[in-house]
Amino acid sequence: MKTIIYTCPYVPAEWIAAHGLRPSRIMPGAAGSTSPVGRTEGVCPYIRGFVNEVIRNTQASGVVVTTVCDQMRRAFDIIMRRCELPAFLMNVPSTWQSVAAHKLYLDELRRLGEFLVRLGGKSPSSRALAKVMLEYDTARTSVLTTRGYLTSSQYSELIAEFNRDGKSGITTTINEKKPFTGGIPLAIIGGPLLREDFGIFDVVENSGGCIVLDATETGERGMCAHFDLRRLRDEPLIELSNAYFGSIPDAFRRPNNQLYNWLKRELACREVRGIIFWRYIWCDIWHAELHRLKQWANLPVLDVDVSGDEQALTVRTIQRIHAFLEVLQ
Amino acid sequence: MNNAPTQITLEEWDERYEQLRRAGLREPGYGGPLGRHVGDGDRRLLKLRYDNSVASLRLWNFLLTEEDRLHNARAEGKRIVGTMKDLGTVPVMAYSLDNVVAFYPDGAWWIPCVMELSAGLLETADSLGIDESFCPVRAMLGAFVTGAHFPIPDQLVCSVGATCDDFSAIAQRLNGLGYPILWWEIPHRRHPEPNEAAVRLPGGFCAPKRQVEFVKSELERVRAALEGLAGQRLDDKKLSAGIQKANEVRSYLAELRQVTFTAKVCPLPALEMLIAEMLAIHFCSDREETISVLKELIDEVKTRVQAGRGVLGADAARIFWVNPVADLQVMNLLEDCGGRICGTEYLFSHALDTIPEDLPPAEALARMALADPMVGSSVDRAERICADIRRFGSEAVLISRIPGASHCALEGEVIAEVVQSRLKVPVLEIEVPPVTDSIRPTLGTRLEALIETVKERRKR
Ligand code: SF4
Ligand code: SF4
Repeated sequence: MKTIIYTCPYVPAEWIAAHGLRPSRIMPGAAGSTSPVGRTEGVCPYIRGFVNEVIRNTQASGVVVTTVCDQMRRAFDIIMRRCELPAFLMNVPSTWQSVAAHKLYLDELRRLGEFLVRLGGKSPSSRALAKVMLEYDTARTSVLTTRGYLTSSQYSELIAEFNRDGKSGITTTINEKKPFTGGIPLAIIGGPLLREDFGIFDVVENSGGCIVLDATETGERGMCAHFDLRRLRDEPLIELSNAYFGSIPDAFRRPNNQLYNWLKRELACREVRGIIFWRYIWCDIWHAELHRLKQWANLPVLDVDVSGDEQALTVRTIQRIHAFLEVLQ
Repeated sequence: MNNAPTQITLEEWDERYEQLRRAGLREPGYGGPLGRHVGDGDRRLLKLRYDNSVASLRLWNFLLTEEDRLHNARAEGKRIVGTMKDLGTVPVMAYSLDNVVAFYPDGAWWIPCVMELSAGLLETADSLGIDESFCPVRAMLGAFVTGAHFPIPDQLVCSVGATCDDFSAIAQRLNGLGYPILWWEIPHRRHPEPNEAAVRLPGGFCAPKRQVEFVKSELERVRAALEGLAGQRLDDKKLSAGIQKANEVRSYLAELRQVTFTAKVCPLPALEMLIAEMLAIHFCSDREETISVLKELIDEVKTRVQAGRGVLGADAARIFWVNPVADLQVMNLLEDCGGRICGTEYLFSHALDTIPEDLPPAEALARMALADPMVGSSVDRAERICADIRRFGSEAVLISRIPGASHCALEGEVIAEVVQSRLKVPVLEIEVPPVTDSIRPTLGTRLEALIETVKERRKR
């Protein structure tokens, strides 16, 4: 089956799968010094990693890039010039409160569908789409129900696996597991994690904490809402659009109060005592939220700026996390 | 009095001003010696060199008195719109209403340069978590907080979507500080799909018809907000009249650019041309006066061209400049190094193109907004640059990177590749911070190297 790769949470896996193609939301590794992006200064390390991954990927039949940030939009230009892989740039509006913005997103899904058909996909009937959505929804729910029964790193890796492999990758059950407890409850908030960044969960646990809310783009925050079954049956594409475009909170949206509303709810219900703010250097979108978050959250915030080197978790970062948790003890 | 075209210092201008005044110089109300603006803290002015014409004196005075005009407008009961990021679209709408003025708070971009970092705006931005990893537009945040550089607008309107991350993030920060903003979406301009209805945009790009319709609907939201603010209708008739006026400004600018960039001897320096171009985006808060200022400049330039006189040597290397410079002095530096500007893409070429007058006005504006070189791909932008290089006969391209700017990190490479492959002209990329004093020798060496390359190529 042909694989379509992407990294943005606003690309619905269900839509690609319903076209008979394999969606894979990849998690790039750090590009290090080998990136085809000539410059390093000024370029978000995640973008460098993503471009690198796309250009070197030999398995994919197509790539979907979105306009959620200026650098990603421009990364598309680089991908188009540096590799042969068919590429699609999907407009994901920054505004979200108007009907027109939702309609634009929906139009873009249809246009994406045409791209998928050009790659050999088959335009799905509403019934076929609804069936795929239901399967994904079930799988997603089963991932979400493991929260609290797995270590934070296992849980976030499970989400990453679900993103990468879709429904077929989910085999974990919680039947025999006991709730996982212990450690100072922390949230990690920010953009996406690179592969190398996953060590953060263990670092936190080894320092006496526990990440109970993975609000990174690659974590729970980047998962779409549960589908409404009635709407799924009646208007599956519109429901898909609602669950993705209408529900995933992110810093890039204008205004982005949806993100803060979501955080308010999740931080409170998980009794979070501290926040690790994970941001890449040169990422303006997340960087600009740091100060506001500090003022807003009424919780201690540790700012971790990541350069995207292969050595993601530097000794300094580990020590800072350790000290942060010591203070929270 | 020596009236031969030349560049002079601020001190020399003030002496010349006295001579002109004694000789009967007639000026608009905002006129006066340029040196007085240093008293407002604009210290960089002391280090610039200026064109010595009366037309340029008027241009500078017009630019440097905008804040007074905005305060006067408020005192007269007019409503003030802070239009952000779109560079050229919303002001056309706002100035179609007789009781509204619009300006770009984005213009605070230049305050750190003009005030040589003395205004403390960057420090204020720092204190709000917006540090030097953002582009100099972060000064805008400081300007809002201090309230010292422009009156706080009655309404803020900001385009988002296919815009830079710097501005989007900073505007959101501003919003988070309690400044309400009307956000409108400008989508990434894409190429039409096969068999998709397409529309040609001002400036030559193409866009899908449905994107134009979407932007039109967004601009209708802006129109409704402006009507609410002004307390009067902004009907198509008024909007069409506003477009005609904007086109008048644009046609004068087009003429000025054509005559200046193609003249054998450079008739007007780079700095004055940069400022003249900037008038197009929001008319420096006075549309009628913008037209008069431009007319006078064109007369001056034509007179000089006819006389074969100019401000630089005839062999100056003809440079196409990409992106505005954060430090205005670099425009002087290019000329010191033996170059002249023959073609520009200062991020707002769409504000220089004629807006279609044979279409419903909202659609015409939507087409114009989508023609923004920054909302499409870097390849599109490079193609437009190539077309202008051919038109103006530029011999090299200088891409001036803006520190921290999200678009500069990746677009320079693409623009350079496209231009070199299409036209085989040399391309140089430099980075220009708001004050370049400490890197002036290095910058100078790099500019000289480019200019030498151009001159060597002429011998082939
Ligand atoms: S981390 Fe920031 S700059 Fe990087 S891709 Fe995400 S939003 Fe864009
Ligand atoms: S990043 Fe570029 S486009 Fe954006 S505000 Fe700065 S200079 Fe302007």
